[in-house]
Amino acid sequence: MGRTPYWNIDLGILIDLFALPMIVIFFYGMYGHWKRIRQGKVRVNLDLSKSAGKIGPVYLYSLLTKGILGTKIYKKIYTGVAHGGLFWGMVVLLLGTILVFLNVLFGLPVFSGGFNHWFMAFALDFAGLAVFGGILFFLVRRLLFPPERLTEPKSRTGFSPIVLLLGVVILTGFVVEGGRIACNGIDNGSFMGNYLSMMFGKGDEWLTLHRYMWWIHGFLALGFLAYIPYSPLVHLLLVPVNAALADPMPGTKMGLIDFSSFEDEESEEMPVLGAAKLADFSRKRLLDYSTCLWCGRCHEVCPAAQTGKPLSPKGVIITLAECLQDGRVEDDSLIDSLTSEALFCCTTCAACMEACPALINQPKTIMKFRQNLVMERSEIPELMGKANSSLELRGHPFFGTGAGPNDWCKDLDVPLFEEGKTEYLLWIGCSVTYEERAQQIAGSMVKILSHAGTSFGILEEFRCTGDPAKQMGNEFQFAELAQQNIEDFSDLGIKKIITMCPHCYNSFTRHYPKLGGNYQVIPHSVFLKSLLKAGRLSLNRETNTICYHDPCYLGRRNAIYDEPRDVVNSMGKLVEMPRNRNESFCCGGGGGNYWAEEVGTRINQVRAEEALGTGADFIATSCPFCLLMLTDGAKKFTEDQKIFDIAELVALQLEER
Amino acid sequence: MHIVVLAKVVPDYEVPAGDFELTNSRAHSRYKRMMGLYDENAIESGVQLKEKYSASLTIVSYGIKADIQVLRKAVAMGGEKLSLVLGGSDDPNVIAANLKMAVEKLEDVDLILAGQQSADMDRGIVHGMLAEMLGFAFIPQVAKIEQEDGQWKVIQNTESGSSELKFGGKAVLSITSVPENVPRIPVVRSIFAAKKKPVVQLPEIEGDAMPVDELSVDIPKMESVCEFLPTEDDPAETAKILLGRLREERLI
Ligand code: SF4
Ligand code: SF4
Repeated sequence: MGRTPYWNIDLGILIDLFALPMIVIFFYGMYGHWKRIRQGKVRVNLDLSKSAGKIGPVYLYSLLTKGILGTKIYKKIYTGVAHGGLFWGMVVLLLGTILVFLNVLFGLPVFSGGFNHWFMAFALDFAGLAVFGGILFFLVRRLLFPPERLTEPKSRTGFSPIVLLLGVVILTGFVVEGGRIACNGIDNGSFMGNYLSMMFGKGDEWLTLHRYMWWIHGFLALGFLAYIPYSPLVHLLLVPVNAALADPMPGTKMGLIDFSSFEDEESEEMPVLGAAKLADFSRKRLLDYSTCLWCGRCHEVCPAAQTGKPLSPKGVIITLAECLQDGRVEDDSLIDSLTSEALFCCTTCAACMEACPALINQPKTIMKFRQNLVMERSEIPELMGKANSSLELRGHPFFGTGAGPNDWCKDLDVPLFEEGKTEYLLWIGCSVTYEERAQQIAGSMVKILSHAGTSFGILEEFRCTGDPAKQMGNEFQFAELAQQNIEDFSDLGIKKIITMCPHCYNSFTRHYPKLGGNYQVIPHSVFLKSLLKAGRLSLNRETNTICYHDPCYLGRRNAIYDEPRDVVNSMGKLVEMPRNRNESFCCGGGGGNYWAEEVGTRINQVRAEEALGTGADFIATSCPFCLLMLTDGAKKFTEDQKIFDIAELVALQLEER
Repeated sequence: MHIVVLAKVVPDYEVPAGDFELTNSRAHSRYKRMMGLYDENAIESGVQLKEKYSASLTIVSYGIKADIQVLRKAVAMGGEKLSLVLGGSDDPNVIAANLKMAVEKLEDVDLILAGQQSADMDRGIVHGMLAEMLGFAFIPQVAKIEQEDGQWKVIQNTESGSSELKFGGKAVLSITSVPENVPRIPVVRSIFAAKKKPVVQLPEIEGDAMPVDELSVDIPKMESVCEFLPTEDDPAETAKILLGRLREERLI
């Protein structure tokens, strides 16, 4: 027999009327978020609707997978399951409530047949149980056994009241159901209600209790819903919006800065370079800060935070979130409160972005502050400042280098790029030119390309791509270098480039096109793979074990994981470190930190130890900065030379054969 | 208060030894030209004084027209104008005489700062000669400058320690490199503003060259010598032996 809504409640329909003011309170709260977020700058994305699965500014796939299904949450399986139970349970309960409402108003037949049995009875009970289980998990974990990521640099308050309220809503819901079943008879499928009904009697006092409970449950549920925008649970709504608007391209893209208004004497207002206060950020960034869950997943994977440096990406984002909440959008002491020491510790490795379930772009925020420190305030750590000056003066950041620009090829026969004749420019890059250990990568690539009969050449004179300047926050310096390179490339008719450094690759592919430099750029690991596939290189697979370290700018930032592994696999047996592929741990050299006086534990030692811990015969990588950092880091643990670039290992095999 | 900083544009002072070559007894012209290292410290010290005491700051240089582009960096760091005497002499007396002429054309100069030595000739004498010609006091190797009771108080760093000195009146100070005067990276709006700041170009005056002839110029040749130190059980012992050997060779 079907269920009759409001069977014991006079004027039960009033609860639906009470829902109206609650809805007003709910939307008022959401409007408050919008009011705060709209204080950010409007940035027009000129790429609108150019990519598949994108409608206007909305990335549909990202919205569905990361925003609504919350796929990133499940990387931590226990939290993920608890979170899934809570979220999907609430969705099902809300749906059930709406169906009851439609039944009352329009007679929608939801209380009969299989639908009543499986959905209105069983599924709703199951959902309630899942929500309750989730609540218990979160309360126990937050209050009794909080992991460091939740408490460092500080814990969020405000979760417990709303979660407790939800718990009471669920409990009272079960009690009401139990009372109904006690009076009306067993409801197949309502396993929780049926069980609780055993505790009820059937007298008038039980009917009265049921009636009170029903109203209490109803009001608490409405109160809960109205409270969501004012509580941390607002992330239920903000995360999907943030996911829908977050560019799914891996890694951070820093937009171009137009410096022309500085040239214009008539210009009344100069643009602020980077950001010093909240009002300098875009609305999307302010949405980021409002969305932050304070979950600390970013803190947990951050190489700076995990090695005793003063930076925590969570710390940065929550400071901004609090500042936004307090309405301090014009407070330019914000940048000082974050401290330049902390902001320059970021290696721009994007591990935080990768881990963040709310799709927040932490490195972009940090980079914006850096841009302000460098370009507006001349504040930069001393060694980074020297690297910047060297870039400006010499076109490369390796101040004090003992190497001349042609030292790396003095014993090699390397062709120069000739317009119309040469197919590929072999781009050497600054670290490969000026650091003795990295020079061997170029030597190896020259041997390999010559062996494979590739048409390639190098530039007679070259300068850095500008990437180190960009990562240190000196966008102006980057733009100057990039423009000069683009002019040189145009003069030589360069169309295809092989890079040995992922930072160069990233610059050429992400940033040069915006300045008018469009090339086909191939990282050397990908090129080696293609040579192997085409049979232009053949390697004997040996019994050596080789562990591969993913450089952040090749892996996380450009999703190139398989090709270098394929190359490694064609030479020996690939072994993985515990943290690999998109969860790889940085070598410590990114974001200009190759030129840092590191405080705390050295990041390169942590990663080198992890790599050596695999027991592999060789540790391969495909980035000269990673090679240099890990070689240095490994010195603490072994005197053997174990770290190599994959090109060196390939070239070694060519020699041995 | 008007502060002048002397800046000299020199060939890249960091060209690796193995890559360094001379033409006509001077660094090859292919090397990039940049401001001298200590001169940048002097500019930074000048900018800090300017900010602290609301002074005005002029950059004065002796060199060629192409140096203007490099000297704009000095202006971008915080200078207000640039005065360049166009000339190509390497003679310290001639350079000092020309700098004197440029300084005298400026009004009411209170303090002149200069890098303790140029990055190309490494002589460290022009500023002393200039002080003599101007009748200013001269204090070399200054690390810190402060105003106190209308007088200047400076810390002078020497190899063996430091001394605190006080003086009134006008002076030329040669500036040494300390963490407090690490040259700043000019902010972007100053880089653009520097392009519009006035540049006074002055023709060279004839000064009395010193009666010295340059007979030859040599640069050190790169040599590789390998010596194995006895390995002891205690690495600290080996390090001591290494230190001893380096001292013997006068390398440190
Ligand atoms: S990009 Fe890397 S170093 Fe920077 S905050 Fe994120 S995790 Fe930390
Ligand atoms: S930024 Fe992302 S990962 Fe970090 S605390 Fe906030 S929600 Fe969690």
